[in-house]
Parts: sequence; structure tokens; C-alpha cells
Amino acid sequence: MIDKIDKTRKSFDEDLSKIENLTSLEDLRIKFLGRKGLVSQLFESLKDISKEDKPKVGQALNQLKIHTQAKFDELKEKLEKGQKSSDEFVDLTLPGRKRVIGSKHILTQTLDEIKDIFRGLGFSVYEGPELESDYYNFEALNFAPDHPARDMQDTFFVTDKFLLRTHTSPVQIRLMKEKKPPLRAIMPGKVFRNEAISAKSYCLFHQVEGLYVDTDVTFAELKGTLVAFVKQFFGQDIKYRFRASFFPFTEPSAEMDIWWEPKGKQGRWMEILGCGMVDPNVLVNVGIDPEKYTGYAFGMGIERTAMRKYGIDDIRILFDNDKRFLTQF
Amino acid sequence: MKISINWLNDYIDLKNISVDEIVDKLTYAGLEVEEVDDQSKKFENIVVGYVNEVKKHPNADKLSLCKVNDGENEYSVVCGAPNVSAGQKVAFAKVGAVIPNGGMKLEKVKIRGEVSFGMICSERELGLGDNHEGIMVLDPSLKEGLSFAEAMEMNDTVLEIAITPNRADALSHIGIARELSALFDLQLKYPDVNLKESGKKSEELASVEIKNSNNCPRYIGKVVSNVEIKESPNWLKKRLKSIGLRPINNVVDVTNFVLYEVGQPLHAFDLDNLGGKKIIVRDAGKNTKFTTLDSKERNLQSNDLMICDTNKPVAIAGVMGGENSEVTSTTKNLLIESAYFNPSSIRKTSKNLGLSTDASYRFERGTDPKITKWAAIRAAQLIQTTAGGIIAKGEIDAYPKRITKKKVFLRYSRIEKILGYKINNSTVKKILTKLGFEIKSATKEKLTAMLPTYRHDIEREIDLIEEVARIYGYNKIPEVSKISVTLEEKVDHSALNDKVREFLNSLGFYEIITNSLLSEDIASRFGSAINLLNPQSKEMSHLRTSLIPGLLTSISNNIKVNEKDLQFFELGKVFEKVSAANINDFKDFTESEHLLLALTGNRIRNEWLEKDSPFDVYDLKGFVESFLAKILPGVIINLKSMNELESKFDNSFRIICENQNIGLGGNLKKEFCTLFDVDQDVYMIQVDLSVLKKINIPKKIFNELLKFPKVYRDVAFVLDVDITSDQVIHIIKEATTNLLHNIKLFDIFQSESLGKGKKSLAFQLEFFNSNRTLTEEEVEKDFRNAIKTVEKIFNAQLRGS
Repeated sequence: MIDKIDKTRKSFDEDLSKIENLTSLEDLRIKFLGRKGLVSQLFESLKDISKEDKPKVGQALNQLKIHTQAKFDELKEKLEKGQKSSDEFVDLTLPGRKRVIGSKHILTQTLDEIKDIFRGLGFSVYEGPELESDYYNFEALNFAPDHPARDMQDTFFVTDKFLLRTHTSPVQIRLMKEKKPPLRAIMPGKVFRNEAISAKSYCLFHQVEGLYVDTDVTFAELKGTLVAFVKQFFGQDIKYRFRASFFPFTEPSAEMDIWWEPKGKQGRWMEILGCGMVDPNVLVNVGIDPEKYTGYAFGMGIERTAMRKYGIDDIRILFDNDKRFLTQF
Repeated sequence: MKISINWLNDYIDLKNISVDEIVDKLTYAGLEVEEVDDQSKKFENIVVGYVNEVKKHPNADKLSLCKVNDGENEYSVVCGAPNVSAGQKVAFAKVGAVIPNGGMKLEKVKIRGEVSFGMICSERELGLGDNHEGIMVLDPSLKEGLSFAEAMEMNDTVLEIAITPNRADALSHIGIARELSALFDLQLKYPDVNLKESGKKSEELASVEIKNSNNCPRYIGKVVSNVEIKESPNWLKKRLKSIGLRPINNVVDVTNFVLYEVGQPLHAFDLDNLGGKKIIVRDAGKNTKFTTLDSKERNLQSNDLMICDTNKPVAIAGVMGGENSEVTSTTKNLLIESAYFNPSSIRKTSKNLGLSTDASYRFERGTDPKITKWAAIRAAQLIQTTAGGIIAKGEIDAYPKRITKKKVFLRYSRIEKILGYKINNSTVKKILTKLGFEIKSATKEKLTAMLPTYRHDIEREIDLIEEVARIYGYNKIPEVSKISVTLEEKVDHSALNDKVREFLNSLGFYEIITNSLLSEDIASRFGSAINLLNPQSKEMSHLRTSLIPGLLTSISNNIKVNEKDLQFFELGKVFEKVSAANINDFKDFTESEHLLLALTGNRIRNEWLEKDSPFDVYDLKGFVESFLAKILPGVIINLKSMNELESKFDNSFRIICENQNIGLGGNLKKEFCTLFDVDQDVYMIQVDLSVLKKINIPKKIFNELLKFPKVYRDVAFVLDVDITSDQVIHIIKEATTNLLHNIKLFDIFQSESLGKGKKSLAFQLEFFNSNRTLTEEEVEKDFRNAIKTVEKIFNAQLRGS
């Protein structure tokens, strides 16, 4: 009997190894595991076994049943899975369900990069109003009334005392009036100039102002900080220079140029920012002692910087908000 | 301003310095050279040629065959000019030259069978005049082979320099030469002025009276009699032409020349047209009209400064002369004016008149009160050389407000403190001296300098430091490589806005930036708009009162290029008047920061796996809820529908938070869309970020994760259609205990089978207790109470029962 059981197991294993599909597996099931199958037949013949042999044979039979059933289940699952994948063809070349992620305006992205660099250098971020008084925009910044320096910035006036700020520098005044040194901050925002709209100029643009006031701030440190900035922003190999300039609120004043070589065009120096040491008159205006404290300030246009970085040559496209433009960045 | 290098050489010897070096040094020192025009470039490969021989062209009647020598070789040249003849010196353009007029590049060509190596040029071809009758015949003494530019002294280089408004002293050739003398350590020399004066004294021939000495501290008059007005000599015309000025006549040209030489504006009056032979400097007084040199009648304000004679105004001081006293071809006797006017007075007049001239440009920036006399003498000298005449002895020098030189001290230690770099004391002194500062005293610690009267921009120690630094060279000051980080509190005003942008991006919105200036019509529709005093155009005359117009314009523009499915937002300031009163203070207007987001078009369009589906108000609500949950975490927010007549939205709702209205939204009323040519539904939310920023965000605290099972019960009611989901939810909450945590509406069904005017709302109720497992009975009790109450209050029926 035990031999019979062994034989059945062997023949089951042999048959099983040849099976390739569910139909032949079903045939196998009927042959071995069916109600009249080989395993059932063996159980039938158990009644003819002597009492003393019964436990042993019974145990072997049970093991055979467990073995065959388990092997059968295993293969069945395997075959079913395989069949599914061949029946339901998944075309992965079909487009997926789209989930759109929007983007920040390219000017915001550029500003973000600038902010990141200066935050890393220990700068805070302050903001101020766009509709400013003449005092903050000009007077406190050492623009004398009736001085031609006021012509440097074509101004939109709301009244003779209020105007749309022409630069972010009034935020310097607000900050220095609000807090005591040490002060280290950048001040981004929108500014306005009464300039005809063209490819080169728009009636508004964005600036970032920078200010650092403490007991030992020097022109050399201003240079170091700005060099660190342009290298991070434009790349370590950027060529730059500082040249003297004039702003009523800084003395000495400078402008920083970088060497710019657009693809296929001749390289040239391009101005990227104005800077200088905070004029003592400005410090006096905000109640800071210029003998004790010195400071530097700088300001740069974001549009120009972004246009340079991305090769945009018409400023108006930045404010058209054409989706075909917005989705590029 | 245009500066000629040849002209500069009259005052400083630049022969050994290249143009590039000059350009660099000036630019670094703050006199930015924007353009370099090398005038000889256009005459490249054009030389003085000697015509050796002229023969008739064998195949053409009107052409000649010439042999031209360029000093080294002889070339065959075909020429069509009738006036060409052997022995002439001509402008010979060789192969490779580009003809200045027309830009043709010369090559070796065959003309009617004869080879021609270049061209003999006419004045017109050289761009020097209109003459095209024949070739230009040159001075026979010129040597063949000499470059044409050099031969004609057209080898000048002209720089276009941007002069910042503080540097009035640099608005002349001597001014620039002085700067170069400091930059290159060269000697500056003024031209000699030795006058042949004869006849009467100036004072006997004319007089000057200053009635407003504040606005006219100094006025010099110099008389030159018996002049002959004619064309200027070539050297003078050439100087003026080189910087783009048109020569007029010898006297006017001299005054212009001196202006560009030394920066002092001059005016020449026809002395015979000056009533009483007297100059009176006074305010215009009321209702003055005056016709200027350009034949335009000008209305003056009563305090505009005028130059008058005994009975009439003859010039607007510092701005422009008058027609009634100008120098004409018959003028014989001159009064030369050389004055110093108060800068702000001239600026006011020039602004009032909208008239800026070379003179007013300099006076309003501040001229040198000390150079007035030299300039008058220099002009007299040049007038005599170009127009003859007799120079009266001396000058009338009305100088009621004497201007004295100021003193400023400079501590060497302060230079180091500001620059972070030590510049040698002797270098400091040398730089200042070269710039015209007179060192009065100097110790180891400091020096005292007398300020030249042409430097109105220098008053303080810091100004001297800048002078030293910029001449020394900013690029020689080292960049520190270490910066100290100070430990003051770090502030970030933009942090919330940055988060807003990022959350909205993740919900699929693109950020836009639109113009803050709108037309009055549009701006006033959304609030009490503030107008500009000096707008560029009607379309941009008012500050925006809302972000809606800008966003609608962007939507409209996108639809025009067939981009119809849009999710946009903008963050920006909007402005409103507080009352009708004028703005005199920050209290008279509001400047608030808004967020506007908008959806329009389709959520899904042309996708293989889903049908086209347009955005609707539930998309808007969903976006707003997700967004607010992130931006105001833990804050209870209520979206309250409202039916306000004045609202700009249909299906409008307000966003309420801590009893404050932080925003509103809905679908924008058609009338606004139509206004911007938008013909699809636009859903918008407008949030006042200035208010939102003030809302307290509770500190986040970790909530224990639920350890016990949740129990769900579903229920559907048949209700009247006008009962809202919120009303039912509210009642269910009231009728149950705190075991009920969530109520979710999961189905809405409406059909005739439910009865007319009826709908079915299906809810899923979620029960749990975070401390224990719930019993069947307590859940059932709450559930039944909920059903009973809803049935009673809304006359509802349980669906399916």
C-alpha cells in the first residue's frame, strides 16, 4: 500500500511538471484529486488495510493528499496570473492621467534664487509700500529738492507729495527707522518708472535692494559680498568689474558690470547693479550716527537679470502672461 | 555728451595713450563711455593718390583710364569724372575700401574691358558733401600715400560719455581733460588768452544791473565792437561738427565752442538792439510773454529770471536768448554775457517751460562762478580772430554775491574705515591736487583741502573719499573673502507669499504678473481709484483697485491664441482712496495685498481616458478648501454662500475666518467677462492677504493615532430640493453625541420618481471614540436620533422605506 502511495505521488509530480495551461491542470485535478480520482481511490482501499497498519498508511495517505493539493493550488495560481497578463494587454505608450503642477512667474523664480543666495549670507527679507511719499522715495535718500538727480528716475506722481516708488530704496529708510543696527536685509518689490513701453522698458519692474549697516562695514566687504553673489548666480567663471557712479544715497557709489557674451554675438560689459556706501546724510536722516556706523547698499533690477539669464529680449513678454510662455519655466 | 579726442589734445597731451586706455579709465572713474566713434574707420584704404596719367578709355567715350600712384605702386583706375586730369592729388579708394556713402566694397573689376584697381572719389561718395559733378581734388601739397583721414584731419575719435547729474564740471573738454590729468598723471594746460584790447572800456559802452542777486550772483558783460558776421573758419567748424553741432556763424560758433571747451554757457547780444545799452537781470513779473530764438512764444512765470534791457526782456536767463536781440548777419557790436545763475532757479524755469538747452542743462547742474571771466575773455579773443573787431577794455563784472571757496578736512583713517583699504597718504594728496583741490594743510592724520568752485558735488569728507577711491580705482580695492554673520533676529516678510505660490503651483496654478496701471473706467468699476498726475496714456491713468482686470486681460489674451484652459493666480497690491479728499497722508488711501486666483475652460480636454469636463464652481471650492487648509492649518474656515446684489460674482461665497472676511469668490458675472472679450465662464477667488496674514495659526500638536475601530452608517433622505446639504448636516450634528465625527455627503439624486420638487441626499456618518471600542447600541441610538430629527425638521422621508 505504501508503495502504491509513493507511486501515485511520483506520477502526480511527473504529470504536474508537464502541465502548461489551466485545461490540462483541470484534467490533472480530475485524475488525482477528483471524487473518483486516484487519491480518493486510495482512501477507498484504506478500509481493507489491517488494523495495525492503518495508522501508518493513513498518515502517508494524508500527506499525499496535502502534497498534491498544495502543489495543485500553487500551480493553479501561477497559471491564472500568467493568463491574466496575456489577456489584458496594457499599452504603456498611452498617455497617463495628467496632473499639472503650475509654476511661479519667471521673475519670482529669479527673485527666489537671489533671495536664497542672500539668505545664506545672513540677510533678512523686508518689504515696503509701492505708493510712497516723496520723503521716503527721495528726500530721506538725500535727493535735494530741485536737483537734476531727480530726473534720473522718471516718476509717476499721485500728488506733489505722493508717488509710485521709483526704486526699492525707500524700504531702506523704513527699515533703518524701525530697527537699530546691525541691520542686514534685502528688500524686493515692484517699482515704477514713467517710461514709454517698448521692448527695452516697461512702466513697472522689480528690484531687490540690499542694505548692511554695522560698526565696521566697508567698501571692500561690499565688493566681496557682491562678487560672491554674482559668482553664485551667474557661475564661478563670471567676469565682472566695478566702476564709479553716482547715486544721491550712496557715497562712494559704484556700478557693477558683468561680461556678457550671448551666443553668436560679440561680448560686452553689461551693468547689473548699482551700489555704494550709505551716504552719511542718509544715516543722519534716520537717526544713525555716521561716525560710529557705516553701511553699504545695493540695488538690482530683476527683469534685466532674468532676461539675461534666459535669453529674453523683449521685456513686454514678461507681462503678457501667455500660457505658452508661462509653461516654459 | 560727445567728446573729441583731437580737441582734448589742445589741453592735455594724449598722444601716447591709446583710445582704449582712455575709454577704460574714464569709465572706471565714473564717466561712462557709452560709444566710441572712430571717424577714420570709414576712410580705411582710402589714401591721397597722385594722378600720373589720364588717357581716354578705348571702349567708352565718357570714361578715362588713369594711372594713380599711392606712394608705393601705380594702379590702373577707370574714372568717369570729367574733371580728372594728370597732376592732381585725389582721394583714391583702393581695392578693399568701403565707399563711405553707400557702403560699396571695392574689388578689382573690368570696366568695358579695362581692369580698374579702385576708384577716384567725389565728395558725395566720401560722405563729405553733395558735390558729385566730379572728383574731389585735394591740396597739391599733400603727400601721396597719406591716409585720407589724416590728410583731411578726419582721424578724430569721438566718445559719447554719460555724465551723471553730479558732475557738471565734466560737461566740457577741459573738464574731461582735468579728469584725465588725474587718471594718467598728466599736465593740464588752459589755452593762453592774450587780448588785444583797445578803444573804450566795456563799462562805458554798456552797463549791467542785477536785481535778483540770489538767482544771479555774478554777471559779466564784455563788449566787442565792429565785428563782421560771417562763416566760421574751418578749424572752428570742424571742432563743432566733430561733436555733432551745426555751425551757424562765427560769433554764435565761438560761444558754442567756449561752452564745450570750458563748460560756461555764453550768450552774445546785438548791443545795438539792447535798449539803453543796459542789461537788467530781474524776475519776469506777471504775464510775461517772450519769443525765444527758435521763434516760439513762451509764457513765463512771475519768478522766472529774465535778462532785460531798459524796456524789454531780451533773454530767458540761462535757458535761451530772444529773437529781439539775437546776432544777425548785420550785427556790428556785441555784448558777450558770461554769468553764474542759481541752479535751482534755472531748473525751475526750464521745467516750467519744458525747455532744456545746452545752457540750462549746465546751469541747473551748477557751473563754475570763477570761470565766467576767463570764458568771456576767451570768447572775445576767438571772436576777434574769427570776426575781427575791437575788444573793449576790461569787463563789466557785476558780482553782488561773492562765492568763496570752501574748506573740507579729510582724515586718512576715515578713508580706511570706509574703504576697508589703506591708500598711501601721498597718493591721496596727489589725486586731490590733480583734480584741482588745493591742499591747505596736511598732518600725518589729516589734510585740509580748498574745494574748487566747479565741484558743486563736493562738500564733505566722504565726498573727498569718493574722489580718492574712484581715481585710485575701485578695482584695486580688494574684495574681502570673509564676511561676518551678525546674530540679529532674521525676518522674512515674503515667507507667506512664497508659501501661497508653492501651494497654488502644486494645485496646478500658474503665477502671472500684470500691470498695476489701468484706465479710469476699468479701475473705478472695482473701487475708489487713485489717479496719476502725469499718466502716460488714458489706458494707464489710475492705480488698480482690483487684480480682476489684469487677470481677465490675461485670460482674454490667452483665449485669442487658443489657450482656453487656464488656472492663473496673481499676488499684488491694490490701491483705494479712503475718502474723496486728496491724498496728503498715508491715512488717505489703502494699499492692500491681494491674491486672485481664477479657473476657466476645461479641467479635462481631449483625453482618451476621460470625457471633456469644464471647470465648475465645485472645482473652485475644492481648490480653495485645499489651499486654505494648507495656508491656515488648524484654523476653522467657513465658506459662506451669500446673495449680495452688489457682488461681482454669481454663486458667490465669502471666506470667513475668526469672524473676519478674508475673501470672496464665485463665478464672475457675465458683464465683467464681456468687458474683456471673455466668452467662457471664469471662476475666481479673491483673498485679502493683508487680513489673512493677521490670522493666528495655532501651534501644531501631534494627535494620537486612533487605536479603536470606526463605525459607519449610511442613510439617504428624500427632501425638498431647496434644502441645502449644510442645513441637513447641521441638524444631524445637533441630534447626535460627540461619537459622531464626520458626515460625508456621498450621493445626490433627483428624479420624478421621488416626487415633484424632491431630491435625495445620501450621507455617510462616521462614529468613533478615541478611548474605546463603540457598542452597537450607542451607535444605533445616535443614528436613530439623527434620522428622526431630520425627518421631523425637514419633513423628510428615509429613502427606500
